This record gives sequence, structure tokens and C-alpha cells, in this order.
Amino acid sequence: MSKNKSGIWSFFSSVQLAIVLLSLIAFFALIGTLVPQREAAGELAGRLSPALFSFLQKMQIFDLYHSVWFFLLSGLLAINIIICSLDRLPLAWRRFRMRPAPQNDDAFKNIPDENKFQSASDIQKAADAAAVLLRKKYRNVARTDAPGSVFLCAQKGRFSLFGVYIVHLSFLVLIAGAIIGSVFGIEGYVNIMEGEAVSAIQLRNDNQSLPLPFSVRCDKFSVEFYDSGAPKSFQSALTFLKDKQAVQSGKLLVNHPIVFDGFRFYQASYGAAPGGKATLSLLRSDGRRDVMNVGEGYTFELPGKEGSFQVLRVEENLMKMGPAIKVAVRSEKETVNFWVFQQLEKIKAMNPDIVRQVPMFNPGLFRPYTFTLLGLEEKYYTGLQVNRDPGTPVVGAAAVLLICGLLLVLFSYARQVFIRIDQVKDNVRISVTGRSYKNKPGLEQEVQYLLAQLKDNLEHSK
Amino acid sequence: MINTTILSWVTFIYFAAFVFYLFRMILGREFWGRLATGAALIGLAAQSAAWIIRWKTSYDLGMGHAPLSNFYESLIFFAWTIVLLYLLMEWRLKNRSIGVFVLPVAFLIMAYASIAPGISNRIEPLIPALQSNWLTSHVLTCFMGYASFTVAFALGIMFLTKSAAGESKNAFIRLMPSEYQMDELMYSSAALGFVFLTLGIATGAVWAHYAWGSYWSWDPKETWSLITWLVYAVMLHTRLVRGWRGRRMAIMTIVGFGCVLFTYLGVNLLPSLHSYM
Ligand code: HEM
Repeated sequence: MSKNKSGIWSFFSSVQLAIVLLSLIAFFALIGTLVPQREAAGELAGRLSPALFSFLQKMQIFDLYHSVWFFLLSGLLAINIIICSLDRLPLAWRRFRMRPAPQNDDAFKNIPDENKFQSASDIQKAADAAAVLLRKKYRNVARTDAPGSVFLCAQKGRFSLFGVYIVHLSFLVLIAGAIIGSVFGIEGYVNIMEGEAVSAIQLRNDNQSLPLPFSVRCDKFSVEFYDSGAPKSFQSALTFLKDKQAVQSGKLLVNHPIVFDGFRFYQASYGAAPGGKATLSLLRSDGRRDVMNVGEGYTFELPGKEGSFQVLRVEENLMKMGPAIKVAVRSEKETVNFWVFQQLEKIKAMNPDIVRQVPMFNPGLFRPYTFTLLGLEEKYYTGLQVNRDPGTPVVGAAAVLLICGLLLVLFSYARQVFIRIDQVKDNVRISVTGRSYKNKPGLEQEVQYLLAQLKDNLEHSK
Repeated sequence: MINTTILSWVTFIYFAAFVFYLFRMILGREFWGRLATGAALIGLAAQSAAWIIRWKTSYDLGMGHAPLSNFYESLIFFAWTIVLLYLLMEWRLKNRSIGVFVLPVAFLIMAYASIAPGISNRIEPLIPALQSNWLTSHVLTCFMGYASFTVAFALGIMFLTKSAAGESKNAFIRLMPSEYQMDELMYSSAALGFVFLTLGIATGAVWAHYAWGSYWSWDPKETWSLITWLVYAVMLHTRLVRGWRGRRMAIMTIVGFGCVLFTYLGVNLLPSLHSYM
């Protein structure tokens, strides 16, 4: 880096700016949780004056997380990180490359007394013991023999110097992934009736419809319940078709999405669909019995050709009296409408007079037939969330980088230790010291540990 | 159920441990300290047992999930992690004085879990969206993070107490670690919490990616966890780069803990996907 840094450079290489930006983002995020966002903002419209509301809307206060402000802050943060890292990387690189010379008297200049001890050993023996001790914990151990003294030095954790840069890089990757997602991503949903196929989805942000290059059919939907009535699991059997050809099929469950052609399908919801089929039995007074499957809106001929009947409505639970269908029977003479309940016996047991009081509830209103509803086939629709987000793998990579970087920064230290062994009258003197850019207490502990071990070794080997 | 009975006992044991730690600090006798550590250990063991029993019971009831799935269970796990972390710290540092600030937090959380209205301690079946192994790792890592932040907060309070005491050197103050040591500990606890919170947010994002289709949807709980994360990121930077120490760090631990509490409890006042816990 050139030494004469411009004002802009020093502005963006300052960590104050980083602190301010991170705080600002936190603050904006906080506002976003207090002010209703997106669809929820609608209810504010009634309470604020129209002018204020439209001003706030222009300022994108109701869509903060996708607003220009947020992009601006992220952009500034990115520049800040890049410049800050470029500014400091050369120093980290020099520290990384630096191989300390073992013979380094400076390092021992001002060391306190508790970092030295004397022993009645000889220099070579003490030096060998120290080398063995160091090799146990360090890979690079260097030794220099000078007249009257031996120097040893060892280092480890040099890579942790780059941890911070990995963390910061990961944050840039994260921002990139998020931007890719918001520019190229698609978020939509679609409801599919059992047995039907769709080839378009609704987009979430502008509620427009997006055609898909394929179609999806829901072959079957099923749901299981706990005794409490809460859903235990639900799933859709889906088939993906291209040019009317089934290409892939599979079961879609909550927490188990299916990917097809770059789109991810998620099981999001379900519901009862109108238009289920009903099974009707028609008993003629001469004993002839017909069973047929009917659906809403369809018209059928009566078995004895007296006329025709049409299914007007299919209800899963009419007035809390269970499944029922409404039919209209037309003959040349008349047209009658009535309801056919599935649980007529139960209803009669509770209220024996009901058929006389409400003739519309009499399934034998058109002679000579008695209609019976045998059952409704329940029909569901399945609610799918459909997304495409090419930024996801980028964000995933960023998360992995971030965590690795953090582990390097916070749990590994670049550290060098130096040992000098020299002769003081009849004794050898052993001095230990070290250097680290972070975690001084850890270094202190390490130095004391080495001293204690060496003292122990030398005293026992005599 | 047996597990909830044990857990109510654990609440009292933690309270007793707190009182013993307090006696030690006031009377300056190590006897009380040993008693306190013993009580905390017994409480932790009983709580672990209750937790395992609860897990087994859920299998016997045919639901089969780790006890990390509703508000009650998360509170219990929170308290458990705090005590575990604290005891590890006590053992590493050979210093018991932090207990008097940590144990009351654990006790209050346990008490809140058992007596606050509207908290069901029943074992409940999981709705489909929660049936995921990512749920377990998400809750586990988040609460490890919260517990580390809680310990950092307790240290922050302790630091401020000591510096407010000034020259007065009664037993209570004397037994505390040095200000330098407390500062280092605040930093390490917050850094540990930061790593766990990062993991927690990441596993939560993975889970959301599988369950709802997008790794991040700015739901209030997500947003608040991001705010908390940013506050601690600011804290790490101010310490490392601006050289903030001691008092300022202590205040940051308190602000950060406030964010943790809001992420955990306050957000339930706002509508959210996460409102079940
Ligand atoms: C505006 C953007 C940012 C700038 C300019 C910035 C700058 C810095 C600088 C200069 C350092 C000190 C490096 C050293 O040891 O020499 C640092 C440390 C660090 N930064 Fe950032 N940073 C930024 C954003 C972030 C973000 C978003 C994170 C989130 C994970 C982060 C996490 C860290 C961590 C974990 C450390 C190490 C702290 C420690 O060792 O205690 N930084 N940052």
C-alpha cells in the first residue's frame, strides 16, 4: 500500500465506520420489526393520514429489508470490509511469513524473574530436554548453538492470522449470495387439486402468475392426524410432466422438498377442495337398486326413465348434520328439490319429526324413488411453496466459511516461544519467553507451563 | 409426571446453591462454597436425569422427540446449559465467586418455567414443520449461545459491582476475580456465545430452507437474532480494535443480554412463525 493514503481510503479502512455501519443495520432491522412490513402495512393506511402514509411508502419504510437503504448499507459495509482487509492484509502476510531467528537476544531483554530458573545441569542436556519438550506441542522447532549458549524457538497457529480475513470474506460472499437471490430468485406458491395438474404459479411479491416450463400434477394427497386433532403429517404424491410425459414423480412432505428443473417444491399447506364426488344409492319401490358416483353440477337419467336428476350441491357438513347433497329431480310433471343426508337415521333419532316438518329433508320426495347418500369422497387441494434461489449455495458456502473463520479467530492463536539456555557460573540458566498478537494470558500460561515442565525434567534426570 | 416433579425440586436445589454461594461470599468461608458447588452439581445431575426421563417418556407416548420442542422445554434446557457452563468455568478457574451471579439466573428461569401462567409442561406431539433433526441442532446451538451470553452478562454485573464498590474491600468484593480476569472472561464467554449463535442462526436457516423454502424470511425472531448477533459483533470489534475494556465491555454484555432476552421472550409479543417457543 502506498503510504500517502487518500481521505476516502482512510475513511473506508477505519473500523469506526464498521462499528457505525453494523449498529445502523441492527437499528434498521429493529425498526423493521416494529413497523408492519409489506402486506401487514395495509392496516396502517387507515390510521395514518394519506400524505404521511404515501411519504413513508416512498421512503420504503414498509419494505425496509428490501429497500434502497438496506442495499446502501450493505454496499457500504462491503466496501468497508474490502478496503479494511486490503489495508491490513500485507501486515498479516508479513507476520505469517516471518520466521523468527532462534538467536534473538532482544526477546529476552526485559523478561521478569519468574521466567527464568537455574539448574545444576549442563547446557547440552538441558537443550536436548527443551527440544524434546517443544517438539511435543510444536511442529517447527529451530535451534541455534552459540558459544556458551543454546537458543531454541518454536511457533504455531500461524494460519489463525488469516481467520479474521476469512470471516470478513465470508460476509462479502453472504451479501453476494443474498443479492443473487433477490435479483434472480423466484418465490411463489400454487394450490393443486387432487388429480389435477398446473403449469403456472403465483408470485409472492406482485401476485402475478408465472408460467412454468413444465407441469405438476397432484396424484394424491393424504393427511394423518394425532388424537388431539392436530395434523401429524401430510404429503402429496406429485408427478412432473414435460410435453405431457411424466418425467419424475415423488412424495412431497413437510421438511422434505423436491427439486425439479431448478425449482424447489415445498409442502406448505392443504385444504378441503370443493367438488368432491358423492356415492348415491337409488332405491325404486319395485326393489331395484342402483348405486352411482355423482359430482356437483352433473345431470343423470333416472334408472326407470321417469326423468332426470341433477346434483346441485355437495356439502361436507350441512348445518352440523354431516355430509349431504342437494338434488333436483325433473320430470315432465314437476321439479322437486331436496336434501339427501348421509346420517339420516341419526338425525331422525334426535328429532323424529324432522322429515314432516322440513319436507326438503325427505329423500323420498320424488316417487317411486328413495335416495340414500352412501358417502362423500373427500377431496383436498395441496398448497405448495415453489421457489428458485440461485443464491442459496453461495449463502451456504458463506456460512461454512464464516464458521471456519470464527473458529480460527477465536480458538487458535499465532504464538511463538523462545528458550535460551546459557551458563551462569556453575549452573545453567534457562529463560523462556514468547510472543503473540492476541491472548496474552494464554501465552503467559504456556510460558509458565514450559518452565515448570523443564524444571521438573532437569531435576528428575539427574 | 415424574420428570416435572424432579424439575420442581431442581428449582429449589438451584436456589439453595445460590444461597450457599451467597453465604460463602459474605462469611468468606470456603465450607459454604463447597456446599454450593455440591448443590449445583446435584441439581445439574437431577436435571439431566429428568431431561432423559422426559425424552424416554415422549417415546413411550409414541411421539418420540427430544425435549426441545416447546417453550417449557426450551426454558429447562436454557437453565441446564447455564449451570453446566458455569460449573465448567468454576472448575477451570478454581474460582467460585461467579456462582453468586449465575445461579440466581438459572433459578429464576426454572421458577418461571414452572409457575408462569400459560406455560404448558406437557409433552406434546410435534406438528409436521417441527419434525426435523435440524430443529434439535438449531435449538441446541441457540441455547448454548444464549447460555454463554448469560454467563457473560453475570460477569458484567459482577464487574460493575466490583468497580462500584471502589475502595471498600469486604469479603464479598475481595473474593471476586481481578478486574483484568473478569474482563478476559467476559470476552471469552461472549466470543463463545457468538460462535454458537452463528451456528444457531445457520442451522435455523438450513431448517427454514427445508421447511419453508427460504433460508431467511425476515420473520421477527430471525430479525432479532440478527440484531443480537450484530450487537455482539460490534462488541468484539470495539474490544479488539478500539481497545474497549472493563466497564464498557460490561455494559455491552448487558445490552447484548437484553437483546437475547428480547429475541427469546419479547418477540412472542410480535406475530411470528416461531411463536411456539
Ligand atoms: C464493516 C465491516 C467490517 C470491518 C471493516 C471489520 C474490520 C475488522 C478488523 C479491522 C478487525 C481486526 C482484525 C485484526 O485482528 O487485525 C476485525 C475483527 C473481527 N471481525 Fe470484523 N469487520 C467488519 C465486519 C465484520 C462482521 C460483519 C463480522 C461478523 C462476523 C466480523 C467479525 C469479526 C471478528 C469475529 C473479528 C475478530 C474479533 C476478535 O478477535 O475478537 N467483522 N474486524
